[in-house]
Amino acid sequence: MAKKKKMGLKQKYALLTRGLDWETTYQPMDKVFPYDKFEGIKIKDWDAWEDPFRLTMDAYWKFQAEKERKLYAVIDSFSQNNGHLGLTDARYLSAVKLFLTGVSPLEYMAHRQFAHLGRHLRGAGPRVAAQMQSLDELRHAQTQIHTISHYNRYFDGFHDWQHMHDRVWYLSVPKSFFDDAASAGPFEFLTSISFSFEYVLTNLLFVPFMSGAAYNGDLATVTFGFSAQSDESRHMTLGLEVIKFMLEQDEGNVPIVQRWIDKWFWRGYRLLSLVGMMMDYMLPKKIMSWQEAWEMYFEEQGGALFEDLARYGIRPPKYHDVASKEKDRISHEVWAIFYQYTHAAGFHTWDVDEAHKAWLSEKYPNTFDKLYRPRLEMWKGMADAGNRFYNNALPQLCTTCQIPMGFTEPDDPSTICFRSSEYGGDTYHFCSDGCKDIFDHEPEKYVQSWLPVHQIYQGNCGGASVEDVLKWYHLNLGTDNMAYEGSPEQKLWSQWMAGRHPVAAE
Amino acid sequence: MYTLTIEPLGEEVAVEEGQTILDACLRAGVWLPHACGHGLCGTCKVDVIDGEVDHRDASLFALLDVEREEGKTLACCATLDSDVEIEADVDEEPDAERHPVRDFTGTVTRLADLTPDIKGVWLAVAAVDGDGDGDGPLAFQAGQYVNVTVPGVDGPRAFSIANPPSQGDGAEIELHIRLVPGGRATTWIHENLAEGDTLAFSGPYGRFFVRASAPEPVIFLAGGSGLSSPKAMVLDLLARGDTRPITLIHGARGPKDLYFKDLFEDLEKEHENFSYLPVLSELPEGAAWDGETGFVHEALQRRFDGVFEGHKAYLCGPPPMVNACITTLMRGRLFEKHIFTEQFLTAADAEPKSRSPLFKRI
Repeated sequence: MAKKKKMGLKQKYALLTRGLDWETTYQPMDKVFPYDKFEGIKIKDWDAWEDPFRLTMDAYWKFQAEKERKLYAVIDSFSQNNGHLGLTDARYLSAVKLFLTGVSPLEYMAHRQFAHLGRHLRGAGPRVAAQMQSLDELRHAQTQIHTISHYNRYFDGFHDWQHMHDRVWYLSVPKSFFDDAASAGPFEFLTSISFSFEYVLTNLLFVPFMSGAAYNGDLATVTFGFSAQSDESRHMTLGLEVIKFMLEQDEGNVPIVQRWIDKWFWRGYRLLSLVGMMMDYMLPKKIMSWQEAWEMYFEEQGGALFEDLARYGIRPPKYHDVASKEKDRISHEVWAIFYQYTHAAGFHTWDVDEAHKAWLSEKYPNTFDKLYRPRLEMWKGMADAGNRFYNNALPQLCTTCQIPMGFTEPDDPSTICFRSSEYGGDTYHFCSDGCKDIFDHEPEKYVQSWLPVHQIYQGNCGGASVEDVLKWYHLNLGTDNMAYEGSPEQKLWSQWMAGRHPVAAE
Repeated sequence: MYTLTIEPLGEEVAVEEGQTILDACLRAGVWLPHACGHGLCGTCKVDVIDGEVDHRDASLFALLDVEREEGKTLACCATLDSDVEIEADVDEEPDAERHPVRDFTGTVTRLADLTPDIKGVWLAVAAVDGDGDGDGPLAFQAGQYVNVTVPGVDGPRAFSIANPPSQGDGAEIELHIRLVPGGRATTWIHENLAEGDTLAFSGPYGRFFVRASAPEPVIFLAGGSGLSSPKAMVLDLLARGDTRPITLIHGARGPKDLYFKDLFEDLEKEHENFSYLPVLSELPEGAAWDGETGFVHEALQRRFDGVFEGHKAYLCGPPPMVNACITTLMRGRLFEKHIFTEQFLTAADAEPKSRSPLFKRI
């Protein structure tokens, strides 16, 4: 009955990693691996790491190569067939611009940081896992750059995304988020990116964005999205595994991990407020509201996770209740910020039409008509009178999340939430208790933040006028920025659409 | 008839036309992970390395289109269209015995009311001789269960074998059957079953067994009629002369719900390494009881001072008890790798519910 046994995945994997964790003799181990102890995480047995990847290199290459072939075939055909003409509306591009210019550089940063971990973790299992994820992230960055390249041929705002990522005020939100993670130790990085972001919050980023792309005819984005998603399940598993590993290795790790979960939940949640705005305001064809996504992906799925984590003595992240209180507000608050500062952005905003307002009213019965509709209508009135509202004062930024201070008190949606801390004789400002707590725990780190508005005032951003600063950003004035209404993009899109209609009409 | 090869074990199994991969494997004594048994939960997902399968009733959510394209299938639904090779997520467990699943009839030799709602049923076992190789007694490992067909009730019911293989040598098995309020099968057994009656059953099933080759002291946690498999496992270990510390905590509501107390107290006297701790959760006024009170997880916490590192724990009982005990064990630094539970998952349990993928088995 039994023939010669084939090797199982576990065995193959054991052979792949065999001996990679040899004890060094020329130099002490702590000098060879200088980063994996200073955070206070104690590891008794690196071999207890249950590698969730268990993927051998040959299988990895084979599988990924096949995916790349499929992906690029779709992107090429999208490109050759003018796939962008199938989009629901050019306004959809604003969401794409924000996503691709905000997230693609992060994929590249993730590639670099996982490569760093692949060198600096002393266990063989986690080192191999980090190396493979490093390759994944590089592929994700590349596929997104290909998509940027296609859209850049027809639309505005994509031309200098890497340069802009280092300078533009709202791109400092995702950039500083990732820099915060990458400048932490290896275990905090894994908690921030692999666990909090790729596991706890990833569905709030990818699911709405990918379904949004599918609903709005964006096949290029859907394709890189699905290709990335198929790696994502591995990355999510890595996030869960690293948390379990730390919690099981030593009891002393529990409070450290709890603090990281608290911090990175809040950091990630604040970053996702940009996604909330995209979902509620920027998709011509809507999929679900931010509130619905929050309820489904965080309150339900996250709730089940934290019930299980309670067995380790981990409680739900601090201020998750505040995030739930804000779920019918933040997307409106963030849209208001971008509407006012569209003259300084690399994408457009617009006056929300009646059908869209009706949808918002239906999705947000407790807040929209009362709190946000009047403001949108006032702005529409101003725009109709030829006086479209742009805020010419520079906003105060939260020192931690770097979003302008537009969020409101947890229990009062009509009062802006201000918090502050003193450190080294200076006062630092925050949008929330969550962001203030993060600063207070590591002030030495956050006083170094590169805050775009401060930098402008300090004269480090090309000059004193808005125009000087936008040039320094490499934004094309009058093209990339300002309201959608009257933009070159709107004109071009109308011409394309008009070019199609006569045929249809006959 | 096709041949199915199961990697990484390298085992080959004969599969009938229309027979599922899971059924063929279990009947050949090859265990595969599985739960709902009808294509809903996805626990039994395997990789098809070679050959053609028919996915049959696998749910589109349990087996996504992309997974079908990647060559995955659900063992509980899939049938073969050719010789097939699969790879399953099975570890070779050094302590697992392999006993093929077969069909049997059991003749009731004894019935006893163990508590007001738990009936002890002793069955003399005879193999149903299907194709000539089914003769002989029931070979099983302590902790396993059988699926009993109750006359007039659709679908079999799972009951753990409460005696160790050494008692009766597979010619007799002992079952503990709790009367489930409104349950048709258990009501019939409690009200109608008589000595001399026969019941059809198949078995043995389950992966609940003692990892005896691991040296750690063991803790058995049982709630109500969940005593059955821990009883078999404790008796089996002691009969083998195992000398590691063995603790059995058995939770029941009141004194009348506690059973086999004398047996375990005698064993405690005979074996220095065995300790028995009954715990009652609903003590009536004025009851004569100077033992532990509260729930199983509370007694567990007190007995071990909340420190469980370096043990192996085996749990059997109602889900709330099992969950509370797992939490207590984990708070005391004993993790999934060292915790084993019996899970009878029926169709009703496979309803999709919000559960995180943090744990695989517990």
